[in-house]
Amino acid sequence: MAASLARRRGPQLDRLTKKEDPGMLRISRMPRALALASIATIFLAGCSSTASTATPAQTPAATPTQTSAVASGSAPAGPSQTANPAATCGGYSGPETTISYATFGDSTELTNQQKIVDAFQSLEPKIKVKLSVSDWDTYWDKLQTALAGGNAPDVFVMDGPLFPDYQTRDQLLDLTPLIARDGFDTGQLADLGVKDFTASDGHLYGLPRDLSTIALYYNKTMFDAAGIPYPDGTWNWDKLVEVAKKLTTTSGGTTQWGFYTETTDMENYWSSLVWQAGGDIVGPDKKTLLVDSDKAAAGIQFLQDLIYKDKVMAQPTPGGSGDLFENGQAAMEANGSWLVPTHVAAGIKFGVAPLPSGPAGRATSVNPSGVVVYKGTKYTDAAWEFVKCYTGPQMQTIVANLKASMPVNKQILTNVYATSFDGGATFADALTYAHLKPSFRGYNEFNTALQNELDSKVFNDKGLTAKAALDEVAPKLGPLLGQ
Amino acid sequence: MASSSDLTSPGSPARQEATPRPPPGRTPAAGSVRPRRGPRAGEERWALLFLAPTLIGLAVLSAGPILATLGISLTSWDMLTAPKFVALENYTNLLSDDRFLKALRNTFFYTAVSVPLGLGLALALAMIVNQRIRGIAWIRTMYFLPLVTSSTAIAIVWLWMYSPTGLFNTALSIVGISPLRWVADPTLAMPSIIAMSTWQGLPANVIIFLAGLQGIPTEYYDAVSVDGAGRWARFRFVTLPLLTPSIFFTGILALIGAFQVFDQVYVMANPGKPGDPTITLVYFIYESGFRNFHMGVASAAAWILFLIVAVFTLIYFRTQNRWVHYQ
Repeated sequence: MAASLARRRGPQLDRLTKKEDPGMLRISRMPRALALASIATIFLAGCSSTASTATPAQTPAATPTQTSAVASGSAPAGPSQTANPAATCGGYSGPETTISYATFGDSTELTNQQKIVDAFQSLEPKIKVKLSVSDWDTYWDKLQTALAGGNAPDVFVMDGPLFPDYQTRDQLLDLTPLIARDGFDTGQLADLGVKDFTASDGHLYGLPRDLSTIALYYNKTMFDAAGIPYPDGTWNWDKLVEVAKKLTTTSGGTTQWGFYTETTDMENYWSSLVWQAGGDIVGPDKKTLLVDSDKAAAGIQFLQDLIYKDKVMAQPTPGGSGDLFENGQAAMEANGSWLVPTHVAAGIKFGVAPLPSGPAGRATSVNPSGVVVYKGTKYTDAAWEFVKCYTGPQMQTIVANLKASMPVNKQILTNVYATSFDGGATFADALTYAHLKPSFRGYNEFNTALQNELDSKVFNDKGLTAKAALDEVAPKLGPLLGQ
Repeated sequence: MASSSDLTSPGSPARQEATPRPPPGRTPAAGSVRPRRGPRAGEERWALLFLAPTLIGLAVLSAGPILATLGISLTSWDMLTAPKFVALENYTNLLSDDRFLKALRNTFFYTAVSVPLGLGLALALAMIVNQRIRGIAWIRTMYFLPLVTSSTAIAIVWLWMYSPTGLFNTALSIVGISPLRWVADPTLAMPSIIAMSTWQGLPANVIIFLAGLQGIPTEYYDAVSVDGAGRWARFRFVTLPLLTPSIFFTGILALIGAFQVFDQVYVMANPGKPGDPTITLVYFIYESGFRNFHMGVASAAAWILFLIVAVFTLIYFRTQNRWVHYQ
């Protein structure tokens, strides 16, 4: 969920219509002063946090494993245990300390993070963790102000795309010496996750804490009713359109759409389409603009066509429709692994298939979120211990069972997450053909300009073709690279 | 400050006794050095002393940061690394920045529409609720509800009303008009937001107008009625002129508030990135500073906004003599 908030900036609007969480996310986006001042906010927040505490419990199989993970937590056990206790979790021998840990998320994420912190507490009783969870916008406002004031949290969460903005401004502690000191094996973590927090100097300035990949959700009930076989790894773009057309039906004034996705951020679907078409957003040097190429445009054009040409997807409405798949109004949805808990809670009988492949084959997006240590921390050892433990089997098992994001620990990803629900293996397997969400200095400004153009001219309105819009915005995007 | 003693009646014995007495701590020598200033100089000092907490607060917490932004606006600064002096570069860049100019246009549009609309509706509403009919207290309370509702809650409810199957589209469908996309439609987005914030801002203005209306002596109405004035003439020649102080006051607040519009846009439009259709100056400032690491650009934009508001306020005040009538 934390990771999901990161990139589902627009989509949060859709969650307004959700039963269990009326407007909490929305409220959380308000400036703090306003939010604090409003009685109604407190009232609504109170309601939704009560409702959302129920969410993890609704996830089947979460409770037993989780309990055992916490219980076994205090005993330094686990398959990855090596001779060197410092290489894993539980070897802290410093003085008793309290460290602060800040993360972004909603009320559900607060509950989830508390479970993870509690698990750490039982692994390392000498380190107390002060958890603070803020909504996405507030989180970054607070973080920047705190960093400017030299008083940032000891450990805080970093969104993959924004990592270079903070790392290059010398705010994050280089973890490489600590990794070497403890003999910590980064090979046990998903490679793309590690890569995302590796700076240009080859050093690690954070460890990935969880991942999100994109796949195709499908509503089994709707497929069964239409007598159509479920999507699988053999699907391509044409097959998607063909089946989505069959599943787009209108009866008695209500439309069932064949397909749904969120167009408001590249991660939800359209960056995967760009890669499937053989294009890219930016070059490997992070200085070359590639999203205006013909191939990249073809990927984005495919999404526009789903809306306006094939008419298998509702026209996107900021603030309107909600997640049509989750509301039972769409048969398929291309979206992230973070939606598993809410789709389960919505009571949809769903399956998960790989994203249909494009002209250049299979591709999907992965976005790790990481835990980083503030360079100015007074408690380097304790903070590092927390970061290290977060990636360890015990805490990662909790991540896996919460299902709000995917564990970054390879062993837990394969043995726990992939087997814990129908579709877990698909999300986990997606890592083998996933591209990292673009990550470079100035990402937010770049993304805002690009996404605004696409929202207003390509997705929300059929003003321009993808190529025309990209050509129009390219002169603005170029100078934003290589800042 | 000096005139404070004039406000009290000169014959007040307590006042006369208090005024000449040198305040404790003030040495008589100081008084003799500047005898021309007389006893009031001591009062001034006391006044300053009592004002000091506020003045210091303003200086440190408001004036300081305001001046600091002027300095920051001349630099390239990301809040995290050392600022670089760039002179007026931020200002010149802004004047050719599409997004900033868009924000500027949007803000002007918002102000030009929302201020007259808001004041006009508030005046009409104030006249309606300024009647002695049964249950008027309930009716007034109903109109004042937006004032005590959080703007977030308001924005959420309005978002629902604007949704494809929401209240407005349902109403339109009854009269056979096909659904509109409201905030999702680039042309309708700003008007939709204006409609919401007008509704939201209404009660505050209604209260002021209502007080103004009730402060108009009935004698005036009686007099013009004797002269045969109808409803419109009564409004045009009595109500409106005597309400101009209230209109002037609400007008200035509305004007300044409109230029600083942020929260409605922030909540209503696509969160995190309201898209160009509804970006406003304050949103641009927020985004530049806190999202894109351009604190210098944000400060420069803030100063441009400040100058715009200052100029308009000044012009507005200058027109005061022409149309504001104090009784």
